Formats: sequence, structure tokens, C-alpha cells
Amino acid sequence: MDQKEFDRLASISRLRLDENEREKFLKEIDEVIRLFDEIEKADVDSLEPAFHPIDIPQRLRGEEPEAFGNKKELLGNTKIYRFYVVGPKI
Amino acid sequence: MKIGLETHVLLPTKTKLFCSDAVAVEQPNSSVCPVCMGLPGSKPVLNKEAVAIAVKISASLNCRINNKISFVRKVYFYPDLPKNFQITQLEEPVGEKGFVQIRGKKIRIRRIQIEEDPASIIREKDYTLVDFNRSGAPLVEIVTEPDIGNEEELRDFYTELNSLLYYVGVDIEKEVKSDLNLSVAEERVEVKNVTGINNLLGAARYEAARQTAVIKSGESVRLETRSYDEKSRTTKVSREKETEEEYGFLYETDLTNYDTDWALVQPVRPASLIAQEWAGEYNVPENRIREAIMFNKEALSLLDHGRNLYGFGEMLAVIRLLKQADIMNVTSEGFGRLVSAVKNGASPDKTTLEKYLRGVEIPDAGTVDESEILSEIKKVLEKDKSIKEKYKKNPNIVNFVVGEVSKGKNVDRKALAKLVKKEIEDLL
Amino acid sequence: MTSSISKFVRSEKREGYYDRLVTDLTGLNDRLNAFSVIDGNMKVGFPLSVKDNLCVKGFECTASSKILRGYIPPFSATVVERALNAGFSFLGKTRMDEFGFGTFGINNDKPVRNPFDERRVAGGSSAGSAVATSIMKYHVSLAESTGGSISAPAAFCGVVGFTPTYGLLSRYGLIDYANSLDKVGVMGRSSQDVRYLFDKVKGYDRRDSTSVDSALKSRETKNLMIVEELLDKVEDRVKTRFLGFLDRLKGNGYSVESVSAKDLEHSIAAYYIISMAEASTNLAKYCGFKYGLKVDDFTKGYNDFFSEARASFGAEAKRRILLGTFVRGKSVRSRYYSRATKIRRAVINRLKALTKKGLLISPTMPVLTPTFEEVEKLTPVQNYAMDILTVPPNLAGMPHVSFPYDYLNGLPLGAQAVSDHFDDYTLLDFVSEWEKGFRYEFKYNLGDL
Repeated sequence: MDQKEFDRLASISRLRLDENEREKFLKEIDEVIRLFDEIEKADVDSLEPAFHPIDIPQRLRGEEPEAFGNKKELLGNTKIYRFYVVGPKI
Repeated sequence: MKIGLETHVLLPTKTKLFCSDAVAVEQPNSSVCPVCMGLPGSKPVLNKEAVAIAVKISASLNCRINNKISFVRKVYFYPDLPKNFQITQLEEPVGEKGFVQIRGKKIRIRRIQIEEDPASIIREKDYTLVDFNRSGAPLVEIVTEPDIGNEEELRDFYTELNSLLYYVGVDIEKEVKSDLNLSVAEERVEVKNVTGINNLLGAARYEAARQTAVIKSGESVRLETRSYDEKSRTTKVSREKETEEEYGFLYETDLTNYDTDWALVQPVRPASLIAQEWAGEYNVPENRIREAIMFNKEALSLLDHGRNLYGFGEMLAVIRLLKQADIMNVTSEGFGRLVSAVKNGASPDKTTLEKYLRGVEIPDAGTVDESEILSEIKKVLEKDKSIKEKYKKNPNIVNFVVGEVSKGKNVDRKALAKLVKKEIEDLL
Repeated sequence: MTSSISKFVRSEKREGYYDRLVTDLTGLNDRLNAFSVIDGNMKVGFPLSVKDNLCVKGFECTASSKILRGYIPPFSATVVERALNAGFSFLGKTRMDEFGFGTFGINNDKPVRNPFDERRVAGGSSAGSAVATSIMKYHVSLAESTGGSISAPAAFCGVVGFTPTYGLLSRYGLIDYANSLDKVGVMGRSSQDVRYLFDKVKGYDRRDSTSVDSALKSRETKNLMIVEELLDKVEDRVKTRFLGFLDRLKGNGYSVESVSAKDLEHSIAAYYIISMAEASTNLAKYCGFKYGLKVDDFTKGYNDFFSEARASFGAEAKRRILLGTFVRGKSVRSRYYSRATKIRRAVINRLKALTKKGLLISPTMPVLTPTFEEVEKLTPVQNYAMDILTVPPNLAGMPHVSFPYDYLNGLPLGAQAVSDHFDDYTLLDFVSEWEKGFRYEFKYNLGDL
């Protein structure tokens, strides 16, 4: 992986790395990607992907509104101003 | 010019797409729970009714319905997105490869996907205010191919799509937002969040002109996202668009595959098509029928029931009267009585219409004393002597006199107009 | 054999039993770092600890991450709710590798120490749950495994660690690592204790779309299989002891067959690709304003604001976000992520075919419990290779259980048995049989009656 690609990944995942981290990760990540590249050898082209390990019966929800009863604690983790959750500037 | 639309439609469900909170609530952050606030540990559970409505929309837009649908995470960072990813569809959307027929052309539908709405966000100078009531509201996104070639087609498509959505049960007054993709040459520009046909036309007009000018100046159009300003009727660059590479779509494994067989229904028949058929069958101008039924379920049903009983032209006249008077919930009996009365020359106002719908007789236009009417006309003409002079330039002034005279009376306005015309001409 | 749970429930407890337990536990925890929260309130039921990625209403829940510091969940995980309704008493939250990212229990603020030798690791990521089980006489723990996070610490701490079939235990209230791999499970000092809690919390939950309700089978099987390619990765001194264990099993009437399973070769790579891809999306939500760690300065643009919050992820979390974001990028997705899901299919097919015939058995870990110094020297890839034996059943969502079979230099050795989907009871029956002829050893027995 080149530095440019690495920096792009860090930027789109909103990770700000210091110089030490950057240098260390670059090397380590390269090694991990080499491990990942090994799967190219696997003979699996004809197989269906398995997104889950088991077949799961489909579950759909009916239309009964249900209010979450614990609003105070739900919003207790946020900063509130006139009922609104305060967020960073856009 | 090539235009493609991505239209976001709020599905008329009671609860949100992935949790049981009610959808429409006023006070900010009052209809919220761990799921739609994106709290760690919460999990989505798909709303059955949302799937049913999405299938109906897809069928009505002539789409192929996928019998197995799945969801993906679309990752991007923004304060209105509780999980910093949106649950949407990619490879197995609810509908694909459909079309909407407009006059003389098919606008192809590329795909219809179910997705969750982000929260609503208010921009303040130094921060934002986020309301999660809207977060998780069920949407479908309807994506067209870039088949719309000019403003007229844009208008036709918009009307046709909205009519179909209206007949599926979507509240089109409230929640239809489109992203407009427009290209004059190669690179396309996306104008985000445009509401209503006038703004869509405004955005298209401005973008076409802007892109043409850019190309003329020898530069190339930049691939970018813009927003439309309603006041100045212009577009401007908005935040940078993440590329598909950056979204990093990933199968949503908190959900599974869902089959859609159970949700298959008769598609909505386009009102425009019905108008076309009736126009031919009953020899009435198509536009008059379209006007009556494109966005009026009740009118369509009244016309459908009455079309072998009454004259079509009279029925349309009654529907126009009802619409002007803002009267709804008309029984077919009441409608029949009105049609007969109009046929006999009556021109009732709102109060009379309502009385009549309840079964009270409308007095016949002929029963009003003609001499009384004549003296009323004379009174008006004497009061404003300029009328006869104005009449020479603009014969429509007659209508003003008719309005004055018929106030509070139930009279045949056509017959009255003749009388007025005769009186004025006598004076000249 | 009856579970210690019924014995505990029937017995007369001394006055102040819980106060004493909490005091002793707090003292020992200062050295071992097993708990991040100990709830000192008065209780009556059987003590239950909960891994810190499972929400317990009203108690701080951080998944041992700085970025969630201060987060008080307004709801409990379904499994927690069910356990409390069944009469268990919540004792505290157990420390783990941040978000489950680790094999040794060291990726956090305070590394968890092994009670058998405090210079050695406890194993991870459910490190605290294993240590808690290892030091308390009457106690069970709700833990979680994504790629081996129950088996590994259970083996190193000498307890029974059971990871059920994917979907049997609801994930509602579990802080996600990788949604298609995460499995809530149970740790205890015996298969009976584990089974008791498992039965109380299992089954469909309408809040988790991937939870299932299935009639569980139990079958008599005396057929055991070892996978050659996997056993080759085990260090000699562990392998020697394991072969001795197999001899004992043969003596108990089991047959042991050696099988080849080349399909498992790419399990580790496929597992890390899928888990990192999913993790990188799950971790997107942590951005400093709705819960957990807060950034105060809202006037920063949201990108800077989010980046400032996300700087507090630990190194392993950052690595996995970067790698996970990489492998699901549009231009490489089919090469990595999509291909990995096909490898998962191959692994499922292979393991299902094998477990139809009996149980797979192997050492749980390829090495003897390492010291902190040994672990620190490992590169990420060497570190991931330690999961070679635990990853295949986890990737395939198959039930597996780790239990102690021997002791070497005073350290427990764990074996892992794997069975077919929904064949969970067969595993617990198998361990129960083993327990009839083998006594588990512990260094501490806090809370003895």
C-alpha cells in the first residue's frame, strides 16, 4: 500500500494519526494485506457467498407503534438545547 | 441535455423503517429510541408495511420485483446520520428496470430502493441542532435513467410519477424530494434536495445554462454536488461528494434476506392512461379528464361509477364545481343529483351544493323572476356608468356584472350573461 | 451431576455473604483487572458477571474503549434481561480487548492478568469474564466471541467457555464488533453451570433480526476427529499433552480419527477480512457527540470534531478500521470481501460435512499461556495466527466449547470441541462426561460457602 492510499483511508475513516502511528501502521498494514492476498489461491469461485453462517428465517415487524419508555436516559448521554441534540458545526 | 432524477419518497407507514417509533411527531426528539439514535447495542428490525408499499410502488412503475431483497450499509460521516452509515439497498433492491410512460416516451426507471431517512439538522453559526424524529423514517429512492431530455419532459415525468405515487397512497404534498442529475456534455452535476416541480425546472434551467457557458468558455464541467437556492433560482457548490469507493458498501448483516412474494399486488393503473381511454370513449378532451383525475381518487371513482349513467361533460363540470367549493366525500347518489341539476342549467354555489348533496332540491334557474333580475342588472349598470364603455374594449366585463347580480342567488350564469350582454348592448 | 447453581440456591448463605464477596473480589481485582465495574449493591441470586460489550441498563458500558467512556445505556441486552429475570444477580462488568479486538486481553486501559500466573496474559477478548470465572467458586459469566474470544481466555484461565450456534443467543444490547460473526456465549466452572445459564437466555428475540429459535438436538457420539493441518500448527509441548489427552479419551471409549481439511487453510485471512470490514462500519458511529467520550468544541467543523474524538481509539481498533475500510472499497471489494464470504461458505460446508460424523477436537490455543513480554513482541500477523484453531468454528457459526484437560507448569491447558449447527447440547454432554473423570483446578475460590 502506498502512502497516498494509506492517507486516503485514514481521511475517509476520520482517523487522524500522528507520525509515529502512521509509520508503524503503514508497515503493519502492508504485512496484513499480504496475508489477505493469500486468499486469491482459494478455489471458491463457484460457491455462493455466505453473508451469515446459518440460514435465518426472515423476520418482519408489524405496524404497532411503541414508544421507548426511557427517554430521559436515552437523551441523557447527549447535550440538549431546546429539545434538540447539539452537534458539531457543518 | 440529459436529466436523471433520484426521487426520495416518504412511505405512508405508522412506524419507522427499522424501529417501532411513530413517524410523524412534532416536538423534537420525542419519537426516538436506541435504534434510530444509533446507540451501540441496538439492532434494526424491518417494517413489513414499508416493504409492502415499496413493492406496490415498484410494481406501479413497471419494475421487475426482486423476490429476494437485502440491505447494505453506505458509510459516510455527517452529524445527521446517527450511525455514520445509512441502511439502504444496492445489489438486491426492491425494484429494477421499470419505466414511467409519459406522452410519447418511456422514462426508464433504473432501480427503486428502500432506505432510512437521516435525522433533520438545523445549521447554526457555531454548531448544529439535530432532531432524530425523522431519523429512520421509511423512504424509497426512485432512480431514473438519464432519459429526460428537456423541461417539458421533466414536467410530464414529475406529474406522472406524482400521480402514481398519489394513487399508491403517498402524501405527495409533504415529502417528495429529488436529486437532479444533469449533463449537457460528459460530466454530470448533481443538484441535491430539490422540492417541487417549479424548483426542479428552475434548477434544470440554471444548470443547463451554466454548464453550456462553462463549456463555451473552453473549460470542462466539474463532477460535483450542488444545491439549489430557491430565492435566486441558482445552484451553488455544496459539500464534496464522497465517491462510491468511499461509501464502501457492505452487506447489512444485522438484517437478512427478505422475500417479497407475499407483498405482490395489482399495480396502480396510471390515471393518465385512464384519461386517455375515457377521452376516446366519451369524446371529451383528454386534458379535462386529466385535470379531474390525476390527483383526485374520489373524482376518479365518481367518474368511473357514473360514466355509463350520466353525460361525461356534465360529470366533469360537477367535479370542477365540487373542487372549487372544496367539497369532499360525495356519495354517488348526491353526485347523480348534482349532475342532473347541472344538466338542467343550474350553477350552484357552495352552500347550495352542500344542501343539494344532502338531498334538498336546488330551485331551477327558470324559477327566478326575470323582471327582478332585469332590474338588478339595470341597477348595477347605473351605479357604474363606465361599464358600457369598458365593454367595447373588453366584453369579458359581462362576467363582473354577472357576479354582482348573482350574489346570494341561485341562477343560471350562462342565461344571466346573455341578459346582461343584451342590456349593455341596448344602452350603447 | 447437578450444577453448582442449584446447590448455591438451596444453601443457607452466611450473613453478609455478598459484602464479603465484593470486598474480596475488589481486592483481588486491583491486581488482575478482571472487572471494570463491580456492583456492590445487596443481592440474593447466583453471581453473574457480564462482558463489557453487553449493555446493562444504568451501568457504564464501554467495551473497554476510551471512546465510550461515560456511556450509560438506557436499556439492557436481552440476554442480561433474561438472566436477571431467571434470578441471577448482576455482579459487575468484565474487562475485554477494546471492542473485542484481541486474543490476549491486553488491548485496553488495564491489561487483564492470569490468576494462575500474573506475569501471563488471561487471553481475550473475553479476558475479564474468564478471570472472574476462574477466581470465584459460585459464578457464571455472559461473554461473547467473534473469532475465538470465549475459547481463548477460557483455555488460558482453565474454565469452561461455551460459544453457541450463531443466532441462538440474542445480540440485542451487544456492542457490535462484526455482526455476522458475533455470538454471545457463557463461561462457567462446569458444563452444568454453563448449560443452566444458556437455557435461561437462549432463543428468538424480536429485537434481533438474526436471532433464531431452534429445537436443539443432542446425539450420542463417540466419534472424535482431529484435523491434521490444524494440529501441525501447535507447539510441541502442548501437542504432546494433547495427544496424551486423546489417549485418555480413547480409554473412555471414544474413537479418534485424523482427517484432512484443506478448505480451512484460508480461514484466518477470510475471518479477518470479514470481521474488519464489518467492524470498520460499526465503529463509524463513534464520533464524540451523542454518547461516550465528548468533544466540547462544537465550533470545529464536523470533520475535525469527529477526527478529534476518533483519535482516542486504541491502536488495534485504528488498524482494523483502516484495513476494514480498505477491503470494502469499491475497486477491491470483490478481491477481498466478496471472496472471503465464499471462503466462509467453503469452511461451513467442510465443517458441516465433518461434524455430521462426530465432534472435532483440538487444543484450543496453539501455545502455552504466554507472558506479557512474549505477546508484546508479536507482529499483528503473528498475533492473528494465534487464532488458527478458534477461527474456523467461529467463521462458520458452529457451536464450540473449550474446557481444561490438563495442567502444564501450573498452567491450565484447554481443549476445544466443535459440533454441527444447533447441535449445542451434544457438546455440553461431551464435556459433562469428561468432567466425571477429571477435576478442574483453581487458584482462588472467592465466595465459597
